[in-house]
Amino acid sequence: MRDVIIIGAGGGGAVAAKELAAQGLDVLVIEGGPRHAKPREQWSRLENDANNPLTGYLRVGQEDRSKPAAYRELPQNSFLWQVSGVGGTTQHYFGNSPRAYPGVFGGYDGPDAALYDVEHLFPYSYSEMVPYYEWVETTLPVQTAAVGTKESVYLQGCETLGLPVQKTKTTLEASYRPQENAILQPGGTAGKTNDANLLKFPQATGCTFCGHCFQGCASPAGAPRNLAAKRSTDNSYMPMALTAETWAQGGKAVELVTDATVTKVRTEDVRGELTARGVTWLDNRTGMVHTEDAKVVVMAGGAVENPRLWFNSDLPNPNDWVGRGFTDHYLDWTFGVFEENVGSSKGPASAARTDYPGYGMNMNVGLMPGIEAFTMTFSDSGIRGQYTNGRGMSGEWDGKTGRLIGPELKDVLGHGLDNILNVVSIVDDDVSPINRVTLSTLPADENGPIPKVRFDNRHRTARSQRNREFLAREAARLLKGAGAKKVYRMDFPALPLHVHSTMRMGESEKDSVVDHSGETRAVKRLFIADNSALPNSVGGPNPTLTMQAMVTRISEHIVTRYFDGEAWVAKGSPVLSTDSRISRRLVELGL
Amino acid sequence: MGTPQVDRRFFLTRVGVLGALAAAGTAVPGVARAVTTGPADPLVGVVSKLLAELARDTLNGLAVFVVPGPDGYSRTQGTPRSEPGAMEAKTPDFLIESLDNYVPMPDQIAAAVGRALANGLADVPIVVPNGLPLIPNALLADLDDVIKLLLRNDSALPLSAVIALLLNTQAVRVDPSSAVGPHLSPFSRLSFAKKAEVFELLEHADPQLVKAIDAELPEPLKGTVSGILQFIAGALLEFSAFGTFCEWSTFDADKLTVSKRPVGWDLAKYDPGSMDGWDEFKGYYQGRQKVSAR
Ligand SMILES: Cc1cc2nc3c(=O)[nH]c(=O)nc-3n(C[C@H](O)[C@H](O)[C@H](O)COP(=O)(O)OP(=O)(O)OC[C@H]3O[C@@H](n4cnc5c(N)ncnc54)[C@H](O)[C@@H]3O)c2cc1C
Ligand code: SF4
Repeated sequence: MRDVIIIGAGGGGAVAAKELAAQGLDVLVIEGGPRHAKPREQWSRLENDANNPLTGYLRVGQEDRSKPAAYRELPQNSFLWQVSGVGGTTQHYFGNSPRAYPGVFGGYDGPDAALYDVEHLFPYSYSEMVPYYEWVETTLPVQTAAVGTKESVYLQGCETLGLPVQKTKTTLEASYRPQENAILQPGGTAGKTNDANLLKFPQATGCTFCGHCFQGCASPAGAPRNLAAKRSTDNSYMPMALTAETWAQGGKAVELVTDATVTKVRTEDVRGELTARGVTWLDNRTGMVHTEDAKVVVMAGGAVENPRLWFNSDLPNPNDWVGRGFTDHYLDWTFGVFEENVGSSKGPASAARTDYPGYGMNMNVGLMPGIEAFTMTFSDSGIRGQYTNGRGMSGEWDGKTGRLIGPELKDVLGHGLDNILNVVSIVDDDVSPINRVTLSTLPADENGPIPKVRFDNRHRTARSQRNREFLAREAARLLKGAGAKKVYRMDFPALPLHVHSTMRMGESEKDSVVDHSGETRAVKRLFIADNSALPNSVGGPNPTLTMQAMVTRISEHIVTRYFDGEAWVAKGSPVLSTDSRISRRLVELGL
Repeated sequence: MGTPQVDRRFFLTRVGVLGALAAAGTAVPGVARAVTTGPADPLVGVVSKLLAELARDTLNGLAVFVVPGPDGYSRTQGTPRSEPGAMEAKTPDFLIESLDNYVPMPDQIAAAVGRALANGLADVPIVVPNGLPLIPNALLADLDDVIKLLLRNDSALPLSAVIALLLNTQAVRVDPSSAVGPHLSPFSRLSFAKKAEVFELLEHADPQLVKAIDAELPEPLKGTVSGILQFIAGALLEFSAFGTFCEWSTFDADKLTVSKRPVGWDLAKYDPGSMDGWDEFKGYYQGRQKVSAR
């Protein structure tokens, strides 16, 4: 019997794996997608090859790309963007690692306390969370972003908004700043040359400004896996978990099984309490079914797959909150067309931001042309100039919201990708029971009934809608301030790429699935350790750092509650994921 | 069986088959009424091929709706351009490959769309325009039988063909004169504004269409259609844009690079550089390399 089985090696599962491995527990990690062992040989870093949701190497589905991607029922105009494989969705995340706003935590009494989703706060305080933030910020590490042209232009726009610059880790007021991100700052030749021959490790270290965060970070060339610039968990936490015996005293490397999907969490009755017993999984390649038992099971399959696995395992759902309360930041998109080059295609995807506690945030985004074209045709307001779906909003931007189709799409994109600056609005959206994951009635796949993801954008709460309109106005003001000649707002349909709170943590038994420790209320020894356990949308900031800090805290509860261990964060000091012992061991293991 | 000849004409017109026959001048084998409608039936082969051509033609009309170029389809919709567009980027191939090989859309849904078209939706009376070929009644009946057989049969038709029949049915609805004219498919004969009307119907989950498809779905799937139609409408537009501007058309999977610059990169003036990095590091904002710990 294992000590712990972790389901999923993504943004959260890899953190639990590393922390528990460091404590010497016997950990098995089961990941549904591949481990991309040699990104430089496997990844073209071109966007259809990488990001096509059906066939890309960064898709949801099994390793064999000639097999169809996993199918999810999306009963609305929408796009659900997640990734399978070691690293999970962080393989293509942008590395932005801001802290949540203090107002989303319990006990907050600032003057703006009423502005947040007050019904769904964290069941503990911000100050309780700070040591866990610091632990993760050191481990990844999180640093202040280096700035390229697009950030310079974005920050110039910010300077016209009448806001202060944030110079602290904690966001205290509406403000702007370069990102704090999990991207190693450029060193040596990185960021200083276009010549690939001069961009090899160790001559170049950290971010080379290649512009392909969305396609997976494989730079600089020749760097050990744990020194790749972007700290997605395939580069940071999983390498640590796989080498724990070399850098943690008493640590034990995890066993990792990939391309294997857990189809059932098994339980048993222990002294009248339903208790996790182990899992059943399917080897995607061979079709063989395996089972294994563990003292503790950790679900980290993400905000869509965790509810699905819960339902498919026939686990109890007494308050009917499994899958409900899905928050996704109700994204919107505004962009400006500039006469001068704003460098959109170069450097990390997003390295500057504006924070509005109580409302959400705006940040710049640079993309390749295919996904840029996708964003310009993605709207809930119909086709500009033709029909509006009952929306078609006007405001500080030019003309109405809507899809750019045909001549207009060509004209706008024809200005050149590098003359376009995008701003994504990331809304502090409310936990709402109608946005949810259920099982679909469409045919099951080999892993059981498939998930159905419902986002009812027309019935978001008044606060969510107010926040979104506010952020769109601010985005347009920023772009005009930065010198945009024309500004377009898209009015995105649901684009869940920040996906949270479907197995939410909460104070009250009435509307939460896990308690403050991450243990499920309905099944003992079963923990949730990823975005789905977040109590709310963290106020709008990019969620992963907050989730990783929460998962670190959950890992401590697992060890102290079930393995007679002691908490380590308050007293210890973390090892950096860039540590040379990890690099050396990875090379020895051929990883 | 008891289908009146006039309904057969409505149906074949709406799904674009009669117009395609006229445009292609395709000779339909004059098999007599001894149609077996089995795979060995020569008419099945001819019709399958015709439907594939019709699908490609429809997707040509869709791709240039999103990214027009110097081609005939863009001229027909009234928005010709001098620089290359979706046809030059081979976007219709991208769409067909994606739809037929990779979209994991359950056969039940595709088949229900097919059956809805076969079982009445497309029989709704329209003004059949002049210029459609005069086909003897016996042959009309044969064609009707074969197509309806294919439509009713789960997974007999590739998804691209089902999507095309759907777009064409809606095309003839928004503009009956599109049943005949240049190109093979009604959708491709529409003006830009009329194509937009087709998408408006789909995005609004056209109640007539939803009802007809829903009626064909087995019980647990009832009620799933309107959402799926909205999803499909969006995805068709977004995939047309993505396919045109990404590297797909010139990607070399063995070398993991492009064999030549894709059309979309030129259109968007995109330069990937060496792929490994740019001379783009401008420094730290206000010289600050680290924030305070607070
Ligand atoms: C384009 C994009 C940009 C982003 N940028 C940022 C950013 O800059 N900053 C930020 O904070 N966040 C960002 N995010 C969000 C970030 O990626 C997520 O917050 C994070 O990955 C969530 O981690 P997770 O563990 O909840 O889920 P995931 O990372 O999705 O991991 C879940 C893993 O579980 C596996 N799995 C699922 N079910 C099973 C099963 N049954 N058996 C076995 N394995 C299973 C999956 O294959 C997957 O690997 C971005 C997201 C997108 C899409
Ligand atoms: S821009 Fe920097 S962080 Fe992003 S993929 Fe390139 S090297 Fe990695």
